Order: sequence, then structure tokens, then C-alpha cells
Amino acid sequence: MIRRNGFTDETLDWRSWLEPLELAQASPLQLEVLDESHPQSRTSPYYLTLAHQPLMLRHRSAAYNAIMYAPGGLPRAERELGAMVVSVTNGCVYCTSVHAQRFEQLARRSDTVEQVFDDPASAGASERERAIARFAVALTQRPDEVGADDIAPLRAVGMSDEEIIDLLHAVAIFGWANRLMQNLGEPAPGPVDAP
Amino acid sequence: MSSPDAADVIDRAAGLTPGDPLHSARRFRAKVVGASEASHDALLRQPVEGLSTADRLRVASHVCTIAGARTLAQHYEEQLDEAGGSAVPASAALPAMLRFAAALTTDPRRGDRAALDALRRAGLGDAAIVALAQLVAFLSYQLRVVAGLRAMRASRAEVAP
Repeated sequence: MIRRNGFTDETLDWRSWLEPLELAQASPLQLEVLDESHPQSRTSPYYLTLAHQPLMLRHRSAAYNAIMYAPGGLPRAERELGAMVVSVTNGCVYCTSVHAQRFEQLARRSDTVEQVFDDPASAGASERERAIARFAVALTQRPDEVGADDIAPLRAVGMSDEEIIDLLHAVAIFGWANRLMQNLGEPAPGPVDAP
Repeated sequence: MSSPDAADVIDRAAGLTPGDPLHSARRFRAKVVGASEASHDALLRQPVEGLSTADRLRVASHVCTIAGARTLAQHYEEQLDEAGGSAVPASAALPAMLRFAAALTTDPRRGDRAALDALRRAGLGDAAIVALAQLVAFLSYQLRVVAGLRAMRASRAEVAP
């Protein structure tokens, strides 16, 4: 269990500030899109809120799932590292908790998580992780200024064009996800809230 | 939707044309390319009560301008001109939408329940608020993909012989 600077890798819930869709009122299209989006979306206030616009949710979920889960390219633990760094940089406590857990499951260690919670811009257990974290912070905080100097460290640790594109997709989609999580509702203590 | 091998909105804003190595490298993730373009189309064109396409394009051009995403801002301005430009009246809720969009874009931490109440008071229902939030959050994604690809293009130019 890691708790630092207001972030945690414990399981949290999320409460919507809007009225989530009532499942009993859902259209066939809304049910179809919910099932495409996430295995637990029918009981998730987040997905039930987004389901008010099913076609918008459909395309968001297609992008998200391909970016975070498609095989090949950047190893999935490194996509989760990007997601976690962006979420901490944006102050999204809920997304941070989810992606800290995913990183720990995929990488089978948590040293990097503690470092990201302390200071995402200098975090990383290796030169490669540090390059990924620094790039994720840069693209999150100053998208109008990133340039060749920000790409060079990624090339220096051996990343291909395809891997760099996977990383910038992961960073960018958390610019999207964090904004929804932080502006349509708030995190709440989870079902297994530790004392 | 256009053919997956044509240049889409992100390619054009990033200065990529079919045949460029980076245009091809993007197609390694053809699903992401297709879903990004389909999101753009749905977020702007899908009918939403209380949220006209013209006002969505005004929000998009404002967001891209304040984020310094010049080529994307130009894209949304052109789309607005094609949709009728200033001849299409703006909703009375537009100032509230622009305030919400600017806050969400520049600092995602600034969001709170009061910001959604302001949109409700301006006349937006929950389904319209979801559409607006999705659009603004998507733009944060789209402008970062474009910025990242432009940086990659600059980096390739530097290492080219």
C-alpha cells in the first residue's frame, strides 16, 4: 500500500456530479456501447455518465482500449507508466490509483510508483523509465513547446517511432481521461478502504 | 470517414502526408487513427440538444488557440466558416461554455461541481454537458498527439543526412 502526497495505489470509487444513466432506461445502443467500453461499465457511475452520449463514448473507448491494450509496440507496463505520470501531473487521484495498480501488476514492482508520487519529472527505476516519465510530463504541461529536444532522450534509450507513438498516445489519452474524471465527478473511498 | 491511408485531421495539423515515414508509422495503430477521427466527427457533428455544431466549433477554435495549437485552431476556424461562420447565431450559453472549456483546458484541477451548475444555469442538460466535456477533453488529447508528432518530425529532420 503506497500513500504519498495525496495519491494512493488503493482501490477508490468515483462519484458523478451529473445524473448517471439509469440502466433500466438505457437504449439498446447505450447497452451495446457500455459493454464494448469496459467489463464493469454497467455498474460504473463514470461509464453510465458518459453513456448519455453513446456514440461519443463508443469512439473514445475504441481509442482508449487500442492505446492501452493492443499487442506489440511499447510494453504495456510502460504505457501504464505514462498514464500514471500524466495522472499525477494533472492531480487526478482516481486515475492515478487505477494506473499505479496496473503498473504494479505488469511490472511486478512498486519502486517507480513511489518515485512518481513524489516527483513525476524525475521518476524512473532506469534511464528508459526516466526518459518516458520526463517526456510524459513535458507533453502534459507544455504541448505547445515540445520539440526535437524532447524526442532525443527517447531515441537515446532505443525507442522506435512506433514505440514513441504508443507513448504519445498514452500520454494524450490521459489528458482526455483525467479531464473527464476531474470535471464530471470526484473520487470517493473505495469498497476496501483501509483504516 | 475517409480511407485509412488518406491524410486525416491529425496528419494535416501535424504536417504529415501519405508516404511520409511518420504517416506510415501512425498506421501501425490503425484502430487509434480511425477512432481518433471518428471521435472528432462525432463530437462535432452528432446532434445534441442545446449544443449546435457551430458553437462546438467556436469552443474548439478557442481551446486550440489558448493551448497554442495553431494548426488545429485554423482547422476549426475553417470548419466554422464552412458551417456558416458568424452568420450562425451563437447560443446564449456560449460564454459559459467558453469559460468551462478554457478552465478545463488550462488546468484540469480547476474543475468542480460549481462549474457544472453554471452550465446548467446557462440551460444545458446533463447529456449536453457530457458532450461538451467530451469535446473539450478530446481536444486536449488531439492537440497533444499533434504536438508529439510535430516534435517527432522535427527530430527526424535533425538526424536526416
